[in-house]
Amino acid sequence: MPKSKISAWHLLLMLLSLMLLLPVVFMISNSFKTLQDSYHSMLQIMPSRITLVNYQTLAKQVHLLTIIWNTFFMATLVTLGKIITGLLSAYAFKYFSFTGKKWLYLIFVSTIFVPFTVVMIPNYLVISKINLLNTAFGVALPQLADATGIMLFLSAMDKIPVSLTETLQVDRIPAHKALRDVIMPIIRPSIISIGAIFFINSWNEYVWPTLILKDKNSFTLPLALQNYISNEGGTNFPLAMALSTITIMVPLLIYLVFQRYILNSISSSGLK
Amino acid sequence: MSARQAIQLNNVTKKFKKTTVIDEMNLQINEGEFLVLLGPSGCGKSTMLRLIAGLEKANSGEILINGQDIKQDSYFANNFAMVFQDYALYPNMTVYQNLEYALKVHKVPKRERQTRLNKVLNMLNLTAYQDRLPGQLSGGQKQRVALGRGMVKKSNIFLLDEPLSNIDVQLREKARDEIKSMHDTSHQTIVYVTHDQLEAMSLGDRIAIMNNGVIQMIDTPNNIYNNPINLFVAEFVGVPQINTLTGEIIDGQVYFAGYSLIADYSRLNKLGLISGNIYIGIRPENIHVSEQPQNAASIPVIVDKIVDYGRYQELMLIIANGQLIKATTTNNQFVIEDNVYATLVDKKILLFNQQTKQNIEYSLEN
Repeated sequence: MPKSKISAWHLLLMLLSLMLLLPVVFMISNSFKTLQDSYHSMLQIMPSRITLVNYQTLAKQVHLLTIIWNTFFMATLVTLGKIITGLLSAYAFKYFSFTGKKWLYLIFVSTIFVPFTVVMIPNYLVISKINLLNTAFGVALPQLADATGIMLFLSAMDKIPVSLTETLQVDRIPAHKALRDVIMPIIRPSIISIGAIFFINSWNEYVWPTLILKDKNSFTLPLALQNYISNEGGTNFPLAMALSTITIMVPLLIYLVFQRYILNSISSSGLK
Repeated sequence: MSARQAIQLNNVTKKFKKTTVIDEMNLQINEGEFLVLLGPSGCGKSTMLRLIAGLEKANSGEILINGQDIKQDSYFANNFAMVFQDYALYPNMTVYQNLEYALKVHKVPKRERQTRLNKVLNMLNLTAYQDRLPGQLSGGQKQRVALGRGMVKKSNIFLLDEPLSNIDVQLREKARDEIKSMHDTSHQTIVYVTHDQLEAMSLGDRIAIMNNGVIQMIDTPNNIYNNPINLFVAEFVGVPQINTLTGEIIDGQVYFAGYSLIADYSRLNKLGLISGNIYIGIRPENIHVSEQPQNAASIPVIVDKIVDYGRYQELMLIIANGQLIKATTTNNQFVIEDNVYATLVDKKILLFNQQTKQNIEYSLEN
């Protein structure tokens, strides 16, 4: 490609990333403005006076630490649960032969195409019947049978050479040890990246947790945020932006940390 | 049959969908024997190895390992070791851990593990690399680790699936010697799959030549080369390939291009040939090329092409009837278009039935 063409592409991509970044910058900048300033100069990127008042108000109004902990606990629970069930079922689908395997897999995969709104009510009823309302377990439970995890782990396992699993078979290594000692270490980069995606998704999840978590003490960050932009509390814009900023901090951090880690583990896995 | 049989296949058939890969296979492998399965790709040799290893299930027939049916019992399974073409080392474990892993899982005491591993690492010159990951090893080193992983298990039966095909040619000979010396010192039963006839010839006590899921011939390298059972074996083994010529039998004599090739009447009498067409097989090194006819059976030919391999020269010769024959010589003095004489060493001539492609003399000699 000629140099001029490359620079044209770069320019386009830079504009695009700027466009995508703008709302984030806007959010962060407004979280440091006073309510008045934000009315006057909402679109001004650098606040004329930087203030922490919104964060201080938030700390007074809600149990910030409790909410962060709730979100973290729920996201961790969902992530671990999905990794465990996804990994184990992918392993079974990949390396064991049993009757009805094809059909079972088909049924699992087809659940991906069932809209959430269809299962929302039945799931809610089940969770309430078994007394898991207002708990992170209630949020996590229906998600454990998630077929996307199975599919992602299956495609990760597809990259393992067949001869490797056959060596395990010839050496009569029990299935659980083969998974723990060989399969999991090899696909560790995939486990980490899939886990990171699960975690971020769960951290940001809104609709399903609103159904299950009614008690303010069990709220997660997205639910708490909703309180600040609903009519109920009156929209205090900078305050909502401050909470939004707190909300995205963890996913952002996870992304930044694991992006490097993922790249590292791919290059050191020695699979190539 | 004095030796005990380590592996025995009785009427084993294996099909993939409707394709028969192994057809009614019968095979006995003696304890301590080095058997090489040789054949063109797709002949079923790897499938056979996988059947023995229990990685594939036969559609019918039985496979006995040390007299035990593999379907019924699996206690012996730990005595297997298998080396794959791509070595299949655990990429997340060091060389030492790779060798140790199966022993650890099967609860071999630590002290015993250490002695066995040190011995094998020493033997394979891997001690300096024991803490490296497979990703940091060369092809030859990986192959040695794969071999070592089988050796530490003290397996009675070693199954090797083209273990040398991913190694540089220069290293291959050395690796071959290592496998040979391993067998010479520990006397395991080895089943070795390859498509490289040089490897097969140099390693095997016996070689089984396979084609289309059927063992064509199973014998020593010498017999396979000099007394092949049929045309397939004769053509498959040997570089350059054997010459296959169409001859004719007239009055019990073998004629080719008007020349009576075999002077030994007692040999021909035994065959009881009367008339008809026949294939004549003659290896290139058994054709003498000379300026003057050497005997009554010397055939006048024209040199068509010369390929110099350094160690020997290959001459393509055209006979008056248009047939082409290949001869090899180590001191070629001819040039293209020379009119010369080709003399076939008559004791080395092989005769094949044109319909069945069988070596006519094979059953007579055995």
